[in-house]
Amino acid sequence: MNDIIFLVINGITVASIYGLIAVAVSITWSALGLLNLSYGFIFSFAGYGAWLAERHIYGEPIFVMFMGIAAGIVGGVMVCLIVFIPVHDKPNFTIRGMIGTLAVSLIGGQILLQNFGPKAKLLPEFFGYGKIKILDVTLTADKIGIICSSILMLTIVVKWMKSSRRGLEIRAMMMNPHAASIVGIGVRKTGIYVMAVTGAMTGLSAALLSQTYYLSPFSGLTPMIKGVSIALMGGLGSVRGAVIAAIILGFNEALTTKFLGGRYVLMTQFALIIIVLIIRPRGIAGILDKAREA
Amino acid sequence: MSDIKTKKRKTWKNPLAVWGAKGGNHEVPTPEWKNPHQIWRDTKAFKVPTTKIGRFHYEYKSSNHGEKIWNRLRWWPTRRTILLTQGVYNRKSLKPEKIRKDKRPIFWFLSLLALAIMPFILPEGYKNSLLTAGGIFGIYASINLCWTLVIGTAGIFSLATYAIVGMSAFLTTWLSINLGLPWWMLPMIGMFVGLAFGVIIALPALRLDGFYYGLLTLGLNELCRVFITTSHAFGAASGGLYGADTFINDNWAPMTQTIVQYYSGFALLIAALFLFRFVDGKRLGRILKLAPEKKEAFAEASGVNYKRARVTVFLISSIALGFIGGFYAAYYRGSAFDIFSFHTVIMGLAMITIGGIGRADGAVAGTLIIVVLDRVLVELGPYRYIIIGLIMMFTILFLKNGLFGVRKQFRDWRDKKKGEARSSRLERGGEMLPEQATETDNKDEIYRRRYDKMQREFLKTLICDEIIEEHKQKPLGQHSEALERVCYYFRRGAMNDKYVVKCEEPFKKYKIMALSGVRGRSPRLVEDKIYDTVEAAYHGLFLRRIQDLMEA
Repeated sequence: MNDIIFLVINGITVASIYGLIAVAVSITWSALGLLNLSYGFIFSFAGYGAWLAERHIYGEPIFVMFMGIAAGIVGGVMVCLIVFIPVHDKPNFTIRGMIGTLAVSLIGGQILLQNFGPKAKLLPEFFGYGKIKILDVTLTADKIGIICSSILMLTIVVKWMKSSRRGLEIRAMMMNPHAASIVGIGVRKTGIYVMAVTGAMTGLSAALLSQTYYLSPFSGLTPMIKGVSIALMGGLGSVRGAVIAAIILGFNEALTTKFLGGRYVLMTQFALIIIVLIIRPRGIAGILDKAREA
Repeated sequence: MSDIKTKKRKTWKNPLAVWGAKGGNHEVPTPEWKNPHQIWRDTKAFKVPTTKIGRFHYEYKSSNHGEKIWNRLRWWPTRRTILLTQGVYNRKSLKPEKIRKDKRPIFWFLSLLALAIMPFILPEGYKNSLLTAGGIFGIYASINLCWTLVIGTAGIFSLATYAIVGMSAFLTTWLSINLGLPWWMLPMIGMFVGLAFGVIIALPALRLDGFYYGLLTLGLNELCRVFITTSHAFGAASGGLYGADTFINDNWAPMTQTIVQYYSGFALLIAALFLFRFVDGKRLGRILKLAPEKKEAFAEASGVNYKRARVTVFLISSIALGFIGGFYAAYYRGSAFDIFSFHTVIMGLAMITIGGIGRADGAVAGTLIIVVLDRVLVELGPYRYIIIGLIMMFTILFLKNGLFGVRKQFRDWRDKKKGEARSSRLERGGEMLPEQATETDNKDEIYRRRYDKMQREFLKTLICDEIIEEHKQKPLGQHSEALERVCYYFRRGAMNDKYVVKCEEPFKKYKIMALSGVRGRSPRLVEDKIYDTVEAAYHGLFLRRIQDLMEA
């Protein structure tokens, strides 16, 4: 029983990190219609930003984490300026945008590789090494910190989107981009906000993941693909769907590791995703709310 | 000819007076008038800048021979012509000429010929590396052609192409190592592997649309990568699985091995081109061209089972990809894990986007560019990926559909510019525009319109209150020269919409009508006003004509 709970908590920890990227992918798709596959690059970019800040500015872990978020914002805005703004009014925008973000991640990955080399880097532990024991289960400060900070980030973003003027603009863009542009909501300006927010989420996930695993120029690819899968299962464009999908996939990871072995995690995960998508072609959010038409 | 533009003569000479017409005076007092020759001189005068008219000869037209309009060569035993030729007559010289409507077969033939003789013309120093890259080019171009079938023809945005090739390569290598299969069996078995994977991957394609499917297949690619790299059977540690049987004999000279590799890749490319031609250009492709994205409902209503066609194309290309996978295993004696990586997917997408998605020539040319950058210019190091990324960015930012869409994009741009230039030099007044003039066969019409315009411009200068008053006084009979010229013009006008006076009741009611100009179609009434006398009706009609003249 204990190890199942341990695995579930592990799963939730991983899911909360990937969930951040999934929500970022979801928001970008639904607000801008951009399939951003450069989150892998933004992830590494933010990680290296945090690493540079730790080396050259100030080593305090919380400061490093915030610098990661800031670098993520910079990366997101950069992608917006390079890809979204020039391409968003061209024909076949979706496929053009996707290929553009892939080109950015190709170029960016190579530039990171040139500057930092292939050697893996590690960020400091942000949340110390404390441990708490609840009902025979040992929780490390690391895991609690990851879960809490991701939930906090998600809450802030959702709250901001629900209550602020900018959030209203973004939600209007999600519902109907044409009508939004007619009532005077600028596509480009909103694009910059959206990419900054989603970049911040990616930056946080980069900082959180790089302290437990490691950081390399291409370490963002796996989290991005996982995030995209979660967003897909949750239904592109739905935050709630992405959160539910992240939790389901987290549980799936824990249970598969326990009963089948770690090698089969991706297989059960994709079997699950394919089953959900065959039943509901628009993902879980097909039940919850209307997703953006492709 | 005098240079004075306006002569201040106060009298007109009556040309009819010499015949002693009744009531014909020699001279009549007249208002100021303009010399009618002046406008002709102005029109003829040299004005800078002159604009060139007509169209360029965009198409090369070859002359004909003999009495036949053209000679048709056909692919025996079909009725299909080798080159699509159109016979035309030169508009100027009326000589028969022929235009090649579709020059692509010529370019394909020349490029493939160049590839075929490549081993004999390459300089010795670069021969080995270039031929190796050429073999890789053949394989990748075939993969991308199959991918183009999936993305372009079938419209299924699948990113799992390299996953099918990789799985087929790994499974056939494994079978070859463990069962000792000969090399020629590998592509055959690969076809079954490809079919099996195609069926599995095609299942969600029936339900999902567009980018949902693309993202799912991206995940499937990752799944295959993780499965292969972590499994014990496929050699988790060595970076790939090697040891399959191959058609390349180690005892041959190194150059012979390279040349055999090159020509086998070339043969695979030719086979893939034939597959593309027979899927995209035949029934399946035509069905699917009726059902582009977002117009499926129309296709369905027309009785086209587009879903079935899509899945068929998907499965055919999956089988082909499986074949290529088996070939790949026999070519390299195995496969590396690299084939499943995200990097490979990006490179593949770069290959098909740079050339233009959905076109065979685009897929092959894009592959050529990327392979040259990736495999030949190795000394550039990581910069070559940055260059590839920049080319991708350039393509999506500035080109409509890749390199092979440039022709259409350029023509659209040129036509837009031409239209702008034409509208900037447009003169109103009914004269033909230069482009219109060169395409009108009846050249008399050009001069008639030009003369008509000049004349109307001249007549406008004559219209003044004096001649209107003069006409009011005496609608018929001899007038001053100014009024007479105006009346001649009006009387000579075309029959359609020509004004006439209709007598409703003699000496009491007159109305103005307009003729239809078409036999059997009755005139129309232009106004309800009733004139008491025929003279008043004549004058009303005259005023209408003057109004039309001044407004035109």
